[in-house]
Amino acid sequence: MEKVVIIRYAEIHLKGKNRGYFERVFSVNLEKSLKGIRHELRRMSGRYLVAAFDEADAEEIESRVARVFGVHSYSLGYLTESDMDSILAAAKLVCPAQGSFKVDTHRGDKKYPLTSMQLNAEVGAKLIEAYPALTVDVHTPQHYVYLDIRDGGKALVFGTFEEGANGMPVGTSGKGLLLISGGIDSPVAGYMMAKRGMNVEYLHFHSYPYTNEQAKDKVVELARILSRYAGGNTLMTVSVTHIQEEIHKNCAAELNVTLLRRFMFRIAERIAKRAGAQCLITGESLGQVASQTIEGMTSSNAVVTLPVLRPLVGFDKEEIIVRAKKIGTFETSVLPYEDCCTVFLPEFPAIKPKLSFIEEEEGKLDIDGLVREAVGTLEKITL
Amino acid sequence: MIYLDNAATTRPLEGAVGKAAKYLKEEYFNPSARYHGGAEVSRMLARARSFLLERIADPALFELEFTSCGTEADNQAIFSAARRGNAVASAGEHAAVFESFKSLKSRGIEPRFAPVKADGSVDADALVELVDDKTTLVAVVHVNNETGAVNDIAAIAKRVKQKNPRTVFLSDGVQAFGKLPVRLTKDIDFYSVSAHKIGGLKGTGALIRRKACTAFAPYIIGGGQENGMRSGTENTFGIACFYHAAEEKFASLREDGERLRSYRERLWELLDHDIFMRISPENGTPYILTVSAKGLRGEILQRDLWDNGVAVGTGSACSSKKPFSRVIEACGYDEAALYGVLRMSFSPATTEEETEKAAQIINACARRRI
Repeated sequence: MEKVVIIRYAEIHLKGKNRGYFERVFSVNLEKSLKGIRHELRRMSGRYLVAAFDEADAEEIESRVARVFGVHSYSLGYLTESDMDSILAAAKLVCPAQGSFKVDTHRGDKKYPLTSMQLNAEVGAKLIEAYPALTVDVHTPQHYVYLDIRDGGKALVFGTFEEGANGMPVGTSGKGLLLISGGIDSPVAGYMMAKRGMNVEYLHFHSYPYTNEQAKDKVVELARILSRYAGGNTLMTVSVTHIQEEIHKNCAAELNVTLLRRFMFRIAERIAKRAGAQCLITGESLGQVASQTIEGMTSSNAVVTLPVLRPLVGFDKEEIIVRAKKIGTFETSVLPYEDCCTVFLPEFPAIKPKLSFIEEEEGKLDIDGLVREAVGTLEKITL
Repeated sequence: MIYLDNAATTRPLEGAVGKAAKYLKEEYFNPSARYHGGAEVSRMLARARSFLLERIADPALFELEFTSCGTEADNQAIFSAARRGNAVASAGEHAAVFESFKSLKSRGIEPRFAPVKADGSVDADALVELVDDKTTLVAVVHVNNETGAVNDIAAIAKRVKQKNPRTVFLSDGVQAFGKLPVRLTKDIDFYSVSAHKIGGLKGTGALIRRKACTAFAPYIIGGGQENGMRSGTENTFGIACFYHAAEEKFASLREDGERLRSYRERLWELLDHDIFMRISPENGTPYILTVSAKGLRGEILQRDLWDNGVAVGTGSACSSKKPFSRVIEACGYDEAALYGVLRMSFSPATTEEETEKAAQIINACARRRI
């Protein structure tokens, strides 16, 4: 008998002839997530088993596995021989000594001498013999003992199904460049795309000295948290200070944000293409702030050819916050560093900017020169 | 780098660190150990304790306990003394006192804050007015860390005690100790100090306590170090640095003060008066000159100055909620002035040449941003 973490995967089984590819990426991601912990990763008909680890690492393994996209559920349990004595020994370890319980058998090995019902009854009876304070309750038990009888004389015995992160293995759906600010939304947007299998790269715009280094450090921290799910090991940063100053000096104040966003998209597209990313990802949510109207999004989209994915477009702030808390980025996002760039914030930003007006105002600036200069400030920070 | 942020922290004095080094490398023994090595370290602590204490108070009446910082010393005094009724502080207190006072509310004690004048010193009449027979604690910062204004704590403490002799009086002396001549009077019960503002290390502070004041409840309980008032193995290296740094500071305290007062005035004279408005009073500490660049953002200017080789402080960190200093706001300045606060603070290591060069750079950076 050995202690194992049983991993079941989501959606991959739907992938028909491409299944092998998805499984390969999935197992590589699992290995990556377990880096630094002694273990063995084994395939077992539609499941993966993490085995040969130190007992003390079990919790850490579970919490890391829980973050890997493609994991549907996982269980900490035992791999044993499928004879009755071995199964019973494992069941005794899984089942608490008191309370109500139920044995639930899944018989993958159809040649096994006992049926599922017979196994439930026999193991249940022997558990009560061992732990007299237990009672059977087949409808709403406090504890479950799951038996999974596999081919080759093996069985898995465990007590719970923990929900995994679901989604698709990261790396199976191309690569996107996430425009990450220090706020609540953009990390969640990155998470949502990674969940669908996208590799995420991170780009942050700052306006030092109007914004401070602590604000940048906060974004590094957010990217670091996100990278535990979404992969990626570098945060790219670009300064838009000069662009903001030029806009402020030359253009209509109500367009400040609109114009800045167009510059950001242009810069992001250049960097995305260099990095081999196939799309831009933003945390925009329709109507959340003045620049996130459909007119605002249209005006930003107009300057790029890559698709811009906005996975939060239909989310309310509350829904985004719930997800940010679950991912673990919320506490960092709400740290109060930011916003010295409010020097540039107009009192009344344009909510429905007309493209002709935008282009007229933008015409007052050396767009190419400013974009080139900004791309030149690119820095890479290892996460 | 011209370092003019000495009110935030100072560069540790090389001489002090050098003399203290043996307590890091050779005599690392636990001062509570009952063998020779331990006894030696324990003797050093005793020397440091009496040296530091004697510089500002009568050791027959006062004692000194080492803490991990000035904030701990303030907290220790506040939560020992404010037990019931109300507690009065100035609106110009450092956060270590101000936030502690605010938290007294949850313990059923009413915090009261006395207004400050435009220079940051407390309005003593208003403060005394707030003291009544239910007041258990009064706190007045000795030197306002944001404006440099000096409160006459001896006179204020006397008036407080006349009104209610049972009230405990605390003064945060972090910006005064080792910089201004101080003598604690019998009306002052607690005085908190910190090592890293005078060339010692971060992580070392002390609370000076009048022996007759019985309001004292240790909140770090353990091995009974510091007379049972503050358990935990002593930071022997830090305390040795504190000791030797103080030796150096006190040896030239008056001369340094006079010299820095002239630098402070020279700096003010050289700053562009069309841009900068002075907040620090002339009779304040020589170590601090606080100004405001009206219409500019202090924090942005601060980073700009760093990039140009000058380190200065601002009113407070810029956060999106309230991007300016509570203390300067309490002085009654308008928003335009609050955003533009810069604090230049000196140490005896500051030179006249640095002062003049800094003035040029500060003017240049500010002019560029207008």
